[in-house]
Amino acid sequence: MIKAILIFNNHGKPRLSKFYEHFNEDIEQQIIRETFHLVSKRDENVCNFLEGGMLIGGSDYKLIYRHYATLYFVFCVDSSESELGILDLIQVFVETLDKCFENVCELDLIFHVDKVHHILAEMVMGGMVLETNMNEIITQVDLQNKMEKSELLLADKCSFA
Amino acid sequence: MPAVSKGDGMRGLAVFISDIRNCKSKEAEIKRINKELANIRSKFKGDKALDGYSKKKYVCKLLFIFLLGHDIDFGHMEAVNLLSSNKYTEKQIGYLFISVLVNSNSELIRLINNAIKNDLSSRNPTFMCLALHCIANVGSREMAEAFASEIPRILVAGDTMDSVKQSAALCLLRLYKTSPDLVLMGEWTSRVVHLLNDQHMGVVTAAISLITCLSQKNPDEFKTCVSLAVSRLSRIVSSASTDLQDYTYYFVPAPWLSCKLLRLLQCYPPPEDGAVKGRLVECLETILNKAQEPPKSKKVQHSNAKNAILFEAISLIIHYDSEPNLLVRACNQLGQFLQHRETNLRYLALESMCTLASSEFSHEAVKTHIETVINALKTERDVSVRQRAADLLYAMCDRSNAKQIVAEMLSYLETADYSIREEMVLKVAILAEKYAVDYSWYVDTILNLIRIAGDYVSEEVWYRVIQIVINRDDVQGYAAKTVFEALQAPACHENMVKVGGYILGEFGNLIAELPFSGPVVTVLFCHLAPCSSTFSQRPRRLSKRCCAVTARSMSWLVHLQQTVHNSDQYYVQTSEVVSPVPQATVLEEMPPFPERESSILAKLKKKKGPGAVSVTELEDGKREGGELNGGGERGPETAAMASCVSQSTPSPSADLLGIRSVAPVGASLSSAGSLLVDVFSEAGPAAPSAAVNDDGFLRYKAVLWLSSCKVSAPPSEDPAPPLSEADELLDKFVCKNNGVLFENQLLQIGIKSEYRQNLGRMYLFYGNKTSVQFASFTTTVSCPGELQPQLNVQSKPVEPLVEGGAQIQQVLNIECITDFSEAPLLNIKFRYGGALQNLTLKLPVTINKFFQPTEMASQDFFQRWKQLSQPQQEAQKIFKASHGMDTEVIKAKLLGLGMALLDNVDPNPENYVCAGVIQTKGQQVGCLLRLEPNAQAQMYRLTLRCSKDLVSRRLCELLAQQF
Repeated sequence: MIKAILIFNNHGKPRLSKFYEHFNEDIEQQIIRETFHLVSKRDENVCNFLEGGMLIGGSDYKLIYRHYATLYFVFCVDSSESELGILDLIQVFVETLDKCFENVCELDLIFHVDKVHHILAEMVMGGMVLETNMNEIITQVDLQNKMEKSELLLADKCSFA
Repeated sequence: MPAVSKGDGMRGLAVFISDIRNCKSKEAEIKRINKELANIRSKFKGDKALDGYSKKKYVCKLLFIFLLGHDIDFGHMEAVNLLSSNKYTEKQIGYLFISVLVNSNSELIRLINNAIKNDLSSRNPTFMCLALHCIANVGSREMAEAFASEIPRILVAGDTMDSVKQSAALCLLRLYKTSPDLVLMGEWTSRVVHLLNDQHMGVVTAAISLITCLSQKNPDEFKTCVSLAVSRLSRIVSSASTDLQDYTYYFVPAPWLSCKLLRLLQCYPPPEDGAVKGRLVECLETILNKAQEPPKSKKVQHSNAKNAILFEAISLIIHYDSEPNLLVRACNQLGQFLQHRETNLRYLALESMCTLASSEFSHEAVKTHIETVINALKTERDVSVRQRAADLLYAMCDRSNAKQIVAEMLSYLETADYSIREEMVLKVAILAEKYAVDYSWYVDTILNLIRIAGDYVSEEVWYRVIQIVINRDDVQGYAAKTVFEALQAPACHENMVKVGGYILGEFGNLIAELPFSGPVVTVLFCHLAPCSSTFSQRPRRLSKRCCAVTARSMSWLVHLQQTVHNSDQYYVQTSEVVSPVPQATVLEEMPPFPERESSILAKLKKKKGPGAVSVTELEDGKREGGELNGGGERGPETAAMASCVSQSTPSPSADLLGIRSVAPVGASLSSAGSLLVDVFSEAGPAAPSAAVNDDGFLRYKAVLWLSSCKVSAPPSEDPAPPLSEADELLDKFVCKNNGVLFENQLLQIGIKSEYRQNLGRMYLFYGNKTSVQFASFTTTVSCPGELQPQLNVQSKPVEPLVEGGAQIQQVLNIECITDFSEAPLLNIKFRYGGALQNLTLKLPVTINKFFQPTEMASQDFFQRWKQLSQPQQEAQKIFKASHGMDTEVIKAKLLGLGMALLDNVDPNPENYVCAGVIQTKGQQVGCLLRLEPNAQAQMYRLTLRCSKDLVSRRLCELLAQQF
């Protein structure tokens, strides 16, 4: 199970935090800090898995992460997940974001946190993987956008009337 | 066209986010956020009804504020209102808010449930998905009660859209995890299992997580899934890389689903049906074959996906542990990965091999890789990988290679990362015990362990060595001799002293022929002094054994004093010192250790869980223990191990740690683990009342003893020796009073200090640099050796908890009684996570801090200079400049030293001349200084003349480091 998905930048500023297990807000913030602390001090080219997070799950718990430019994508998972599988999943997530935002960058995540959440929701639900097919995910996101557009259009018409 | 159009966002939100990002400081940010929170609050409370758009905007702002780490305690109601909007965007943001900021207010949950109910029955797939997502994210009991019966219906209904089915499957899984009693699968079981056959791969992907979880809990009801999973897997594995279109990931067909199918199969034993089994073996062989094929793409994603499947296939092969042919291939494949250039693969190969090592078919095959693994332990750059290598060495250890492996692990310990030292120590201790052919090797190993990593040797480990020595006659003499020698080392770790004290106390008589050793007695004394005085403060922390150590070493000292009358220095008239009754008690023999299981084993189990120790190892231990002790007679400790096995699980042959069967891993592991821990904690620390009694008695004895001993009070030694860089740190503060004294990855210590006359006050700031709390934080300031009567340092205890990121302060009051040379020691101990941190620093209190500057004219200066002309009053040093020779810097340093810098005194204007008086409680020490730089040679000559000879020497030493 995926316990949490965290995105933060090179300075530890959180850009997305999604917990699939309930913690209170303070602990969540502590987990983010601890995770950043653990991940950020690692060199590039070391392995993408590490243990040592003490706040979620103890020994049956790993951090699997990828570092893209200014952002860290970290999945906190238990031992029922395949490490390499999760790495691929992170890649799918990032490629999806990249398609949805056209060359995604940190600013997109900052100004469209809600969208990022919606995209993630098409992939992961309650800590389990819902869909791994990027085209399927993007189809769903497109559908959402269409509905949004039509509602906007409707609102404009109303205001003219 | 991008899927997310960037232009149509909410302007107010964007402005707010930009404002926050432009904040120059944390304070400004908080101020801006509070302003916004107040604004939103008033909008929500206002009379004017907000339109959906505004509500959405404010809820988005709250989400953003929450992400920045601020508590949000309102807005839930507005979010719930958005749920009932019939506009998709508003509904969506309402659900998002509720999923992120779960609130357990039951009235609220009732309203949310109502909205969910409406959406589930709306027949609008998008709305249904939103509602299912919300249930899966919150997953509370109330939601399970409301929807547990509804969801399975949606899941299996013929007309449900695929995307809704996917969501329903995972939603049901979540409810099953939180409230298994409410999710009754009965009638749905078969239809859920058949989702594995669904045409839509996304549905299979979601359903397989549900089925895996249900199978783990009810293997019999779901066992039909095995053949379905095998045929699905077979279709994927044998498909061409283009067959599955969108589910092909970098030329690998459906890697995620393949992994999940292989995981599902690990919940079950090998299929009984020959045809199914044949098909599965074929799949596994195909997967292994594909690993040898040239890659279809150079992209790392391609090899990742391919190897993800390969590792799961290997896990399944190891899990079945019945196909020797496949096991050998798996082992060879992992062997290749051990030397792969991808770190990830090396890591995973080490991890998989660890489980492979416990298979009887492949234990030998795994052992052939020992050199590679040792090499990994030595050369891997990544601590995660080194940790795996250490685990594998532990797993592959047996009688044949124990000495080599233990030696390698010991040598690795010297440089090992702090985070894994404690576990390494436990592993070495366990291996040394389990494979000890001769117990002198065992004793040597444990003593080495203490020498190398004393701080990480927990009580369990050193109790155990004492326990074993006590229970084995043949090693007692050797142990006594070895610790006696070990204690003569210049610096001994506290744990070494404890073990030594105890063993000498018990068996010192066996080595009566060895020559008397002053250092050993001193070191035991040093340990006794602080120990006895702390008994009363922490009776719970110091267990009975600890007291026993003190008692034991005292008894040895008594013994010495009775036998070694020729050593005046240590001679104490015992009859005067110890009244007959306690003396008799001291000399009583300790009761034998109560027999129980090896506590270190329990501890490692508690720490690690899977892969730590398997029952086969315990059985090995039993068998070997039996051999060692001669035929049927079992060693006491191995008997205890055996009893631990039978206590932990109903059947001793049951797989204690669930290594063989993956299915119950989660449940059985934790229960077996905690049971063992319970057994241990029960037997571990002594009953409090007994301990207190013991403590009182011991304190009485110790005080009695030490107070009348004629031995000069030995220095009270701190638990950890001062850091090697302690002197350097000290030098930094000779000419300044404030700054950072020490910093490592966990802790920062800052200092501010002020001095007047012979008094000083020092503020210590301990900063926790991590995000995790420090527990049992204690600091002790001590004046070692001759400093004791010279300097008086008083401190108040600090709070035992230091929260992550927090800083605490401690004030020290310092009084200089007379001149001194040493620095007081500051010992800091705390627990970070599980590990005890123990470090000792020198406090930058140096004699020059008590200087009063004295102005004087040239004439006076030279008159006094001449008066202080005895050779011992002068100290001089000629040394090379280690910094630039800038005049202003030198002046600043001399002023920082605390003396008055005198102008127009020295005939040579290049020279510096200073005067000052050191204020101590008893007397004043006049000091004169002359510093002669030679810019050409980049050298200095420093001369000090003081009315007290030791002071000149000390100041000279201190100052020579500064320029």
